[in-house]
Amino acid sequence: MINRILKFSLIFVLLILLQVLVFDNIRFGGYINPYIYVMFILLLPVEIPSWLLLLISFATGAVMDIFCGSPGMHASATVLAGFVRPYALRIISPRDGYEPGADPSMFIYGLRWFLIYTSFIILIHHTALFYLEVFRFTDFFSTMLRVIMSSVFSIIFIILLEYIRKGK
Amino acid sequence: MRNLLNFLAKYNNLIIFLILEGISFYLLTTGNTYHNTQIVKEVKGLTSGIDVRITNARNYFHLRDINQALSYENSSLKNNIFLLRTRENLQFIPVSDTNYKQQYQFTSAEVINNSVTRQKNFFTLNKGSRQGMAIDMAVSSDAGVAGVIVGCSRNYSIAMSLLNLDFKVSARLKSNGYFGSLGWDGKEYKYAVLSEIPQHVTFGIGDTVETTGYSAIFPEGIMIGTVSGFEKSGGDFYKIRVLLKTDFKKLHFVSVIGNMKKKEQLELEKQFQ
Repeated sequence: MINRILKFSLIFVLLILLQVLVFDNIRFGGYINPYIYVMFILLLPVEIPSWLLLLISFATGAVMDIFCGSPGMHASATVLAGFVRPYALRIISPRDGYEPGADPSMFIYGLRWFLIYTSFIILIHHTALFYLEVFRFTDFFSTMLRVIMSSVFSIIFIILLEYIRKGK
Repeated sequence: MRNLLNFLAKYNNLIIFLILEGISFYLLTTGNTYHNTQIVKEVKGLTSGIDVRITNARNYFHLRDINQALSYENSSLKNNIFLLRTRENLQFIPVSDTNYKQQYQFTSAEVINNSVTRQKNFFTLNKGSRQGMAIDMAVSSDAGVAGVIVGCSRNYSIAMSLLNLDFKVSARLKSNGYFGSLGWDGKEYKYAVLSEIPQHVTFGIGDTVETTGYSAIFPEGIMIGTVSGFEKSGGDFYKIRVLLKTDFKKLHFVSVIGNMKKKEQLELEKQFQ
């Protein structure tokens, strides 16, 4: 148990640092800004109680908000992601259910499963985040374009990071 | 009572979710004015230490560019000094004259945290109220307009970048003096949009766009950028695309500009509104 808490704390710190130091400085073509810190929410154990998941999501978003200087923006998007995660897991659950104590990992349930799972949550998170950031509907379609482009890159980077994580 | 408890037990996730979203939205809506949130100021003090380290490391890679820009600016300033000195000698202007009053004061500061990737970008400066920074002071890079200070703690201040949907500055075409309002459209970090220029005005691609000084924040004639394209927008106005002179991705050293006569101007304007 302690081991697991330590492991996830380490992942948390690494992902936040990676986001703040590397990915926040990326801007391809003026549209794409990947947010890979959501991966932390994706990786938490399947059996985690929902209330704890929500609180962790809020804390993760709040930490990002402190670094970005945008009170409440990341927090609300990440809480939404944490809220839909149990439903996402239920909808795409494998035929014989989840193994007790398993992490939602690409190497247990396969690339296709992980891709659907990640895309679902990332799209919801990014949609909430980008529209909250603009906070108006005047540039509806250009914001939508940014959501889609950034989501694609976030998903690619998260899958790459998942490979790296397993490689260690 | 029992029903209530059952209800709470059944929907506890939804309730926690709604409470947390409520907190976030409260922060989001009250925090939009940004400088009013005491929390952000307090917390910014905590992360500023980290920001400084990151910037120190990053600046090291840009030393060549920074040096070049500084030496360029130095030489142009030396030219100005030389011009002023010769003129003074010729005309015998006494500096102790009571009519001679400096209006703008420049202070240099370093950008320790910056972003261009968001829709509402802010950057942090390494000087605060202790070093004489105050809200509504203008910030310019050595190339041109960069932003406006919106919040100060003791040793740090936060400036709203020109790359912020809420940023508006009064700007004019240098060639003919027609002025309009300049803002960012949230698309590319290299371009801003100058609107409210009437369609009978003639200008060309490459014309300089500069500040007007009407707002009592920016001094008159600070470079913003050059015209790179235009289209007719509804009504009788042009929508002019302006290539920004300041490269916001390389923002390192800036000057903060304080207007010493601002209070006087605003008080006078207030009487007639």
